[in-house]
Amino acid sequence: MSNPTNIQGNAAAAAGAIAAGCRFYAGYPITPSSEIAEQMAARLPKAGGTFIQMEDELGSMAATVGASLGGVKAMTATSGPGFSLKQENLGYAAMTETPCVIVNVMRGGPSTGLPTRPAQADIMQARWGTHGDHPIIVLAPHTVREIYEETIRAFNLAEALRTPVVVLYDETIGHLVETVTLKEPEEIITRKWAEGPREDYLPYAAGADMIPAFPRPGDGYRTHTTGLTHDERGFPTQDPEKVAAFMERLLGKLETHRDLIEKNELVETDGADVLIVAIGTPARAAKSAIRELRDEGIRAGLFRPVTLWPFPEEALKAAAKGKRAVLVPEMNAGQMILEVERVLAGEAPVTGLNVFNGEPITPAQIAAAVKELAK
Amino acid sequence: MSQTQIRFSGSGGQGLILSARILAAALAARGKFVAQSQAYEPTSRGGLSRSDLVVSDREVDYPLVTSLDCVVILDQVAVAASEGLLRPDTVTITDAARVSAPPGEPRRVLALPITGKARGIGNIRVANIVALGALAELAGIIDPDSLRETMLDLVPPRFRDLNAEAFDAGREMAATLENA
Repeated sequence: MSNPTNIQGNAAAAAGAIAAGCRFYAGYPITPSSEIAEQMAARLPKAGGTFIQMEDELGSMAATVGASLGGVKAMTATSGPGFSLKQENLGYAAMTETPCVIVNVMRGGPSTGLPTRPAQADIMQARWGTHGDHPIIVLAPHTVREIYEETIRAFNLAEALRTPVVVLYDETIGHLVETVTLKEPEEIITRKWAEGPREDYLPYAAGADMIPAFPRPGDGYRTHTTGLTHDERGFPTQDPEKVAAFMERLLGKLETHRDLIEKNELVETDGADVLIVAIGTPARAAKSAIRELRDEGIRAGLFRPVTLWPFPEEALKAAAKGKRAVLVPEMNAGQMILEVERVLAGEAPVTGLNVFNGEPITPAQIAAAVKELAK
Repeated sequence: MSQTQIRFSGSGGQGLILSARILAAALAARGKFVAQSQAYEPTSRGGLSRSDLVVSDREVDYPLVTSLDCVVILDQVAVAASEGLLRPDTVTITDAARVSAPPGEPRRVLALPITGKARGIGNIRVANIVALGALAELAGIIDPDSLRETMLDLVPPRFRDLNAEAFDAGREMAATLENA
């Protein structure tokens, strides 16, 4: 455990990755995520790992997946334009069930947009950026301390569930320096390696936990890795029964392990009239606004998904029960609100507060919106 | 919850982000929670540059400044950016030579010869440390002696004497003003 020290959000992502056992980083620096590459370049070799700057984001995502197939915990980091380029190989990681962590520090978009300004407009891209029905976990830390902790958790979830995990936060938090005490991880999870007779090994066969054992390179287990839909042997199949069984397991594995994945923070939600649902910088603005409003006799609470995807349906429903109104402040034109509306359909009126001018949402903006709803 | 909001601002290259980092380190070492943010233009010299601190006894909720307790302005280019964040009681320190039109509204602006003093010491680049010394004396956010210690730990060893002189000069300048 370190003494309290001032570190930047992006540096905390690098520190968390190394603490979690990440030993390979492939990247292509892009504002506002570049400090992660910078930190990994300096620190990974000292931790016995490998850093490589690839020719572009396609290559860096490919190298990250390749390193993980080689048995090493691997990560890459980027921002919007680079995140777009990483989507194809991110889908390959989901399909081949290759553990990996992708940090996306959100800036204003679309396209190259606003490189140094904060946004949250990649919320849907993080879930649906790659094509096809696919499993993915997205974690949304809101402080520098939480970036460190959630990056560790990202590796644990990636390894435990053999899935890509995205760590998603906005530029404001990525470039923020905060006083943090970095604690050693309480738990470090490494993927389940293949054991037992080699001749019986099926690389994509899974038990009740739905997670196939990973063939450790050099252990002699025969495997086959393909982005084509595959059977338990890892070879392509179009047999409808096998395809359906594979897809049901692929998509069902996260649902089966929801308890491990889901994490939310609730602030003063009991007895609140208005529920705010927010992540990242708007969630911090909400916490500040809630205190100010309480002094004025207005009761508001915050529901903050720390795990953004899979979306915390039941927990949100429970938190919204009996509320007069729900406010969803986000630094985009309205993305998370679509999920909130879907989950709370008919139970509570849902209103958005959308800022997409490159400026962070402030406590005053949230307080004003809550007051309007509390009338 | 008591919270203090501080801004260092001026033009790029004046070392304002370093001043903020030194103050943030000193506060963290004394048990405070600090959130430090910064903004600068994509040029290595010139253009608005600022670094903000939100200081609290617990983890900071909203990490960006909304109402400044103290502000240092070392260049005219940085005045407009802080106008909306000032209160009548904001401790406002400006550079006498480089800020010709300080923030408006009736408020006490402390115009100090910061860059002039740095030049006198022999290096205009320590203006940021002169300003830090002045702020420490005027703002009452930290014991100036302990801030000085942290500052000397963080600057390159070969520039320690120069920075010590700059910090002390800033304090003295502010102390004289307070006694006036």
